[in-house]
This record gives sequence, C-alpha cells and structure tokens, in this order.
Amino acid sequence: MDPYEVEFIGENRIVSIIPNFTYDKIYLICGEFGPFRAGLPMNVPLWLAMMLKQKQKCRIVPPDWMDLDVLENIKEEEKRSRFFTKMPNEHYMVEAKLILGAASEDVPNAAEIKTIIKDIWDIRMSKLRTSMDALMKSGGGYGRLDHLTMMEINSAKPLLPSAMDYLLQIQMKAQKKVTQQSLLNTSTFSQSGSSQNT
Amino acid sequence: MENSNYLSVTDILVTNEKIPCKFLHDLPKMGFLDPSAADNDLKAGTNVEIPLWLAESLYSRRPPLVSVELPKIYKDSYREILNADACTVDMHKLNQHFYELGCYIAKHDIKGEVANTLINTFRQRFRMLLSACVSTDSVGAIQPLSASERQQAADAGSTEKALATWLQRGDSVLTTANMVANHRKRKRAEMEMF
Repeated sequence: MDPYEVEFIGENRIVSIIPNFTYDKIYLICGEFGPFRAGLPMNVPLWLAMMLKQKQKCRIVPPDWMDLDVLENIKEEEKRSRFFTKMPNEHYMVEAKLILGAASEDVPNAAEIKTIIKDIWDIRMSKLRTSMDALMKSGGGYGRLDHLTMMEINSAKPLLPSAMDYLLQIQMKAQKKVTQQSLLNTSTFSQSGSSQNT
Repeated sequence: MENSNYLSVTDILVTNEKIPCKFLHDLPKMGFLDPSAADNDLKAGTNVEIPLWLAESLYSRRPPLVSVELPKIYKDSYREILNADACTVDMHKLNQHFYELGCYIAKHDIKGEVANTLINTFRQRFRMLLSACVSTDSVGAIQPLSASERQQAADAGSTEKALATWLQRGDSVLTTANMVANHRKRKRAEMEMF
C-alpha cells in the first residue's frame, strides 16, 4: 500500500475545530457534521478540518496527546520498553504531519512537538527493524504486531511477509523427506521464540 | 520460487544447471553425454555432469538410471561456511538461484542437511535484505544477493522510498532536528551539565 493511501484512511479520524463561520448541518458519506457555529468547538473528520483550515475558515484544536509532556512520556516509555508501546492514536504520524503542516500556529510548541514526534517515529522504526531481524533469526513462525500503527505495519509489508513466505516455501520443498516429527518441533520453537521479539 | 511453474523462466534456468551424476547402468549409444568418452556406449559408473531436468527424469525411472550427487556448493565444505556466517558469502557468484536449486537438490541429500542449511542461510541473510533496502550504497549492498533476494530487496526498497517521499512532502517536513542529529554532542552537553 502506498503511504498516501494510509494517509487517506487516517484522514477519517475525528478532530476538534473551532469554525469562524456559521453554517447548517452538512451531510457526508461518513456521517453528518454540524451545525457550524462561529467560535464553538465541534468535531469533524481530519480531511474536512484540513480543507477548512486551508481556506482560513477554522482553527484546529490540537488533540490531547499533541502536548510536550505527554509526548515526552511516550518517548521515554518507548525508549525503556523492549516492545512497542501503545500510541495515543492509530494514525499519530498522519495526524501529526497534517496538523503540524497546515496548522502549526494552532499548536503550542509546534517545533518541539515536531522534533519529538520524529524522535518517537525513529525509535519505533529502528525497533521494528531489529525485531524483524530477530524474528527471522529465531525461526520466523509468526510475529505479534501489538501497538504498531498502520503506517509502520505498511513499511514492513513487502519485505517481511515475502521473506516469511519464501522461508516457508523452502521448508515445504526441501524438507519433504524430513519426518513430520522434526517439523513439529521447529514450529513450536519458533512460536515461543518469536512471541517475545515483536 | 512461487513461480516454479512449467513456463517460469527462473525455473527453466534453475533446472538447466549441471548436476554431477553417476550412471548406474551401461547405456548403449549414449557415449556422447560424456565428452571425455571414446566409446559409443556409456559405461556404468561414469560420472557425468548433466542438466538437472535430465537427471531428474533419469532418476525417477524404476530402476533409476543415475544416482544424483550433490553439487559442490551444497557439500560439507560450503555448508560449513554457510552455517558459520552466511552473510559473508557472495551468493551472486556462488549461484544466482541458490535457494531454488537447493530445493531440488535437497531431495537427493540422504541426511537431509541441505534443507537445514538452506533455511539457516536464508534466516541469517535476512539482515542483508533489511540493510540492502535502506542502504544508500545500493550497488554494494545488492551485489552479494542472489536473484530472488535482489527481487525482494528491490520491492522493499520501493516501499521504503515511497515512505521517505511521504515524510518529505509538504511545507512542514517532520525532520530530525539538528540537536538530535548531533546526538553525541547532546550527550556531551548533558555530561557537562553534571
């Protein structure tokens, strides 16, 4: 999948905006939103918020997690843990990129937040790489993808499944003669080995 | 390997590899198979290198006409190298279709060790795939990969590139701050504070 497709999916997340115009309810495929009252906060999908923001029709209320302290905690947690920690949002990268891109003046400490989100992203990506390698080394049976966001899963997508598929094919073709018993052994080993790695 | 169907070019190339075989019976008028033979007939016990597709069909006859021997890259000496550190091996030079050929060969290995070697080798070399798809020195990183590994690395590389362009796009690029890029300096600064 292309990152833009992931972005498209992420754009359906609801964010809070403060419109500066008044308008009736609008009816969209993804639901009805409104009525818009100038100055009153309301929830709309991210893509609509971006569109209104670009037309200078609203102010974006930054999500709760887009806060220096919260992100600092997440980053520390992520550094400390061997596993992936839960992100505040399934599409944190998409949301951060769009909101900070179009509405950085609405977010306090935008520059620092940008840096820290990039830090978190980098930590998680390098963790993803090491655990992919460890998973393959330990047997490549299966890996758990707890707390990985869609964008991150997408980045591992062509390589990891194709490598696991390839490994399975070698196993199937080359090990035809090897007894069922030893096959059974390797698969239980890889399960116990890989479950800790991801 | 997923394309090991009848018309797959990879599969045709793989099955065209020469495999050392020992003929078990006298074959009249087949002397031309052995370039060094003077006779018209092929004697039992001759060692000849024949393509895999021929060896397979001669082997599957009852009784088998040939016994298939392991090519040297699947023999003990090479297997030891691969088991020790598969990442040091230039697969492109060794055999471009190492895994695919190995799958065919594994059937003829009585001890079943070739299969394990193949699996171990691929597991160890996965690290090379990972680094090849992010590496900036793409020629150097891709060079030692086998044909199928190159294909996988190229696929992964294009996703990696797409992700990088996505991250770069727009007026507000989420970039690494200078402070983070100079991480060592940051540590030094922290140390100086104490």
